[in-house]
Amino acid sequence: MSATLEFVRASRWYGQVIALNDVTTTIGPGVTGLLGPNGAGKSTFLKLAAGQLAPSQGEVRMLGQPAWGSPELFHRVGVCPEADAFWEQLTGLQFLLGLLRLTGYDEAECRQRAENALHEVALLDAKDRKIGGYSKGMRQRVKLAQALAHEPEVLLLDEPVSGMDPVNRRRVVDLVRRLGRAGRTVVVSSHILHEVEAMTRRVLLIHNGRILAEGDVREIRDLMDEHPHTVALRARDTRALARAVVGLPHVISLTFGAEGEWLTVQTAKPDELYGNLAAAAEEAGVSEMYSPDENLESVFRYLVAG
Amino acid sequence: MRDTSRPVPFARAARAVFDLALEGMVWSRRSLFMAVLLGLPIVFAIVYRVVLATHIPPRVTPFDLYGLLVVPYYLRFAVPLAALFYATALIADEVEGKTLTYLLTRPIRREGILAGKFAAYVVTTLSLAMPAVIVTFFALMTVRGRTGLGAAVPDLLRDLGVLALALLAYGALFTLMGVLLKRPLIPGLLFVFVWELLANLPGYLPRLTLTAYLRSLVRHRPAEEGLSEIFGQVLPAALCLEVLAGAVIVSLAAAAWIFSTREYVMDQ
Amino acid sequence: MPIYEQTYRRHEARGPLRRVRFWPITREALRLILARRWFLALLVAAWLPFVVEVIRIYVVTRFPEANRILPVDGRLFGELLGWQAFFTMFITIFGGAGLVANDLRTGAILVYLSRPLTRRDYVVGKLGVPLLLNLSATLAPGLLLYAVALALAPDLFWKWDLAWIAPAVVVQSLTVSMVMSLVALAVSSLSRSVRVAGLGFFGLLIGLEVARGILYALYRRPETALLSLQADLRSLGVTLFGLADRSVNVPWAYAAAMLAAVSIGCLLVLRSRVRAVEIVQ
Repeated sequence: MSATLEFVRASRWYGQVIALNDVTTTIGPGVTGLLGPNGAGKSTFLKLAAGQLAPSQGEVRMLGQPAWGSPELFHRVGVCPEADAFWEQLTGLQFLLGLLRLTGYDEAECRQRAENALHEVALLDAKDRKIGGYSKGMRQRVKLAQALAHEPEVLLLDEPVSGMDPVNRRRVVDLVRRLGRAGRTVVVSSHILHEVEAMTRRVLLIHNGRILAEGDVREIRDLMDEHPHTVALRARDTRALARAVVGLPHVISLTFGAEGEWLTVQTAKPDELYGNLAAAAEEAGVSEMYSPDENLESVFRYLVAG
Repeated sequence: MRDTSRPVPFARAARAVFDLALEGMVWSRRSLFMAVLLGLPIVFAIVYRVVLATHIPPRVTPFDLYGLLVVPYYLRFAVPLAALFYATALIADEVEGKTLTYLLTRPIRREGILAGKFAAYVVTTLSLAMPAVIVTFFALMTVRGRTGLGAAVPDLLRDLGVLALALLAYGALFTLMGVLLKRPLIPGLLFVFVWELLANLPGYLPRLTLTAYLRSLVRHRPAEEGLSEIFGQVLPAALCLEVLAGAVIVSLAAAAWIFSTREYVMDQ
Repeated sequence: MPIYEQTYRRHEARGPLRRVRFWPITREALRLILARRWFLALLVAAWLPFVVEVIRIYVVTRFPEANRILPVDGRLFGELLGWQAFFTMFITIFGGAGLVANDLRTGAILVYLSRPLTRRDYVVGKLGVPLLLNLSATLAPGLLLYAVALALAPDLFWKWDLAWIAPAVVVQSLTVSMVMSLVALAVSSLSRSVRVAGLGFFGLLIGLEVARGILYALYRRPETALLSLQADLRSLGVTLFGLADRSVNVPWAYAAAMLAAVSIGCLLVLRSRVRAVEIVQ
C-alpha cells in the first residue's frame, strides 16, 4: 500500500498534556476509520495530518511532504473540520465559491465545482439561502461540500455525519465508500462505530494518545486470542447441539437462551467451531447463526477496557 | 491551468481573501456603528450651519471647527478607534468564530490571508471616513458662501491623505497587536489614549508616537489647545512620511511572520 | 403500554420556584470574572484614589494649614467619585461588555431560558455583575472614606450640615454604576463579539464626550453636557457635592432626565435583543 499519510514517531503535547504519543503509522488509498473515545487524540491526529499543528517530535508527511508549512498540499487535500462554524451571512453557494477562489480556480470553474459539490450533498435547492438559516444537517452537508468541491486526492473528515438525519447519513456513507473505491485516501474520524463499519473495515484505534490497533477489523479481532469469541446459534434442538460441542477443547462456555431456542457458545477458536458444527447443525436443525462480537464496537470496547 | 505544486500566487490569494472578507466587514453592525462614529462631524457641521443661520455666533470660525474635527476628533479619536475596532479583529474574529480553519486549509500562504484581510480593512475604513470628511469640509466651508473654497481644497486633499496614512499606520500596528496578543483591547486603548499623549511633551519623546508625525503633516492648529500648543512640535514632512511608511511596513511584516509561524487550535 | 395516551397531565413539580432566581447567574459570572488575576489587579488599582484621599485627610489633620492648599470638605467625596468614574469605565468594559454578547454567540441564552427563568431574571442576573463590580469601586470606597474621615477628622466631619455626604455618595455611586452597567449590557446585546461590544461601549462613552467637548468649544454652553453620559453623571456630582465645574453646570433635573431616558432606552434594547431564538431571513 503506497503511503499517502505517514506518521513517523510523531508526538504532540500541549504543555504537560501529551495528546499524541509516539505514533507511527501509514495510511494509503481507501477509507480508514479513525476511532477512539473522547480525548483519545483523534482530533490532534487529524490536525497534524491537515498541517494545522506541527508535531512536537517526529514527522508527519502528507503526499511525501511535511504536512506543516506546505500550503500547496491543499490543492490535493480536503478537510472537513468538526466545528460547526461558518460565515453565517454567506449563502451556501457564496461560501463554496469564496473557498474555491482561494484554491485558484477561475470564476466559471468555481461555479461549476460549487454546484457539483452542492448537488453531491443534496443542497442545490438551498444554495441561495444564508447558512445562518440552515438546519444542523444542512450545515454539516455544506461543510462536507467545501471539502469535496476541489476533488482532492485526500480527504480528512472529522465527524462528517454529525447532526444528519438517517437518509443523509446513508448518502454520506455511500459517498465515502465510493470515494474510497475510486482510490482516494479518506480518513474518517467518528464516534458512531456502526457507521464507520458501514464505510470501511480498515480502522485505526487510538486511546490515550497511542495507537491501540490498526488494520482490518476482522484481523484485529482474530488477533485477540485471550478474548473468547461468542457465537449465537438458533436451533430446533439446542440441547443436542450443546451435547455436540461441549466436549470440544476450545469451547469455554455454553449458555441457553430464555426460551430454549438459542445457544450461545464462547470459544477460543471460532473457525474450528464452525467446522465442528457442520455435522451437528443439520441434525439439531440450526436455522440461524451469527457472532455478536465480530463487530467494531466489541473490538473497541475490549481494547479500550483491556 | 493551476500549478498544484505551488501555493496559489500571492496576489490572487490576497484578492480572493479580500473579496471574502470585504463582504463580512462592510455589511455588518460593526460598520454601522463605525459609520455613525466617523460621520458624527457631519452632524456638527449641520448644527453649526443651522445655529449660525439663527445668528447665535459660535466662538470659532468654520475653518477652525473643521480643524478641531480633523485633529482632535478624527486623528486622535475616531481613526485610532476605527483601526482598533477592525484591525485587532482581522485574525482574532476568525479564531473566535472557528472559521480560520477554512482559510488555513486552502493552498495559499498565510501572508496572503493577512494581506487580503488588511486590504479589506483599509477599503472599509477609507470608504467610511473619506466621504464623511469631504461632506464635513464642504458643509462647513460653504457656510459663508463659496469664497475661499478653492483655496481651502488643497487642505482637504492633504487632510484626506493624512487620514488615509493614519488608518494605514494605526491599522498596521493594531494588526500586529491582534496577531501577537491574546487580548489586544487594553494595550490598544492604552496606546491610543495614554502612550500617544507623549506627543504633547517637549523633546524627543513625541517621536515615539504616531500622533506627532500625523499632526505634523496636518496644518490645522485649533484655536485653543492650551498647554499642548506650547509643546506641539512640527516635524519635517519627509521624516513623517518615512517614519509612517516604515511603521506600516515593519508592523505588517512582523504580523505576517508571526501569523505564518503560529499554530491555531480551535477546539469545540 | 408502548403507546401513551395524549390527555392532559398535571405538572407535578416537586417544590415552589425560588424567589430570587437571578442570583445564580450573577454569582457564577462574578466567580469567573474574579478568577482572572488581571481583573483583580484592576479592582485593586481602583482603590488607589481612595488611598490618596485618606492620605490627604491625614495630612490636613496633622497640618491644618494644608487645608488651604488641599481643602478637605464635602467636595472631597465628589472628587473621589469623579476619579472612580474613570475606573468604572474599564471595570464595565472588562466585566460587562461580553456578558450578553458571549451568550448570543454561543446560543447560551436558549440554555438559560430553558430553565425556570424569565428574560427579566436573565437581564437582572447579568446586570448584577457590572453593577456589583462598579459598586465595589464607587460605593464601597466612598462610604469607607466617609467612615475614615469621621474617624480621622471628627472636628471637620462630625457636623449635621455635612450629614448629606453619605446619602450623596450612595445616590451618585448607584447612579454611576447603574447607568454604566445598563449601557454596557445594552451594547453587549447588540453584538456577538466581546471585542466589538467593549470597543462599542468605549467608543460611545468617549465619542459622546469628545462631541460634547467640541460643542462646548464652539458655544461655551453648559447645556452641551446633556449630550454626554459622562458629563451628565459629572453634572449630578456637581449638584450633589457642590463641585466647581462650569462646563457641566446644568440643572440636575435635566441631567437626571437624560440619564433616565438613556436607561429606559437600554432596557428597551435589551428587551428586543434578549430572545431565545433568532429568526434568520
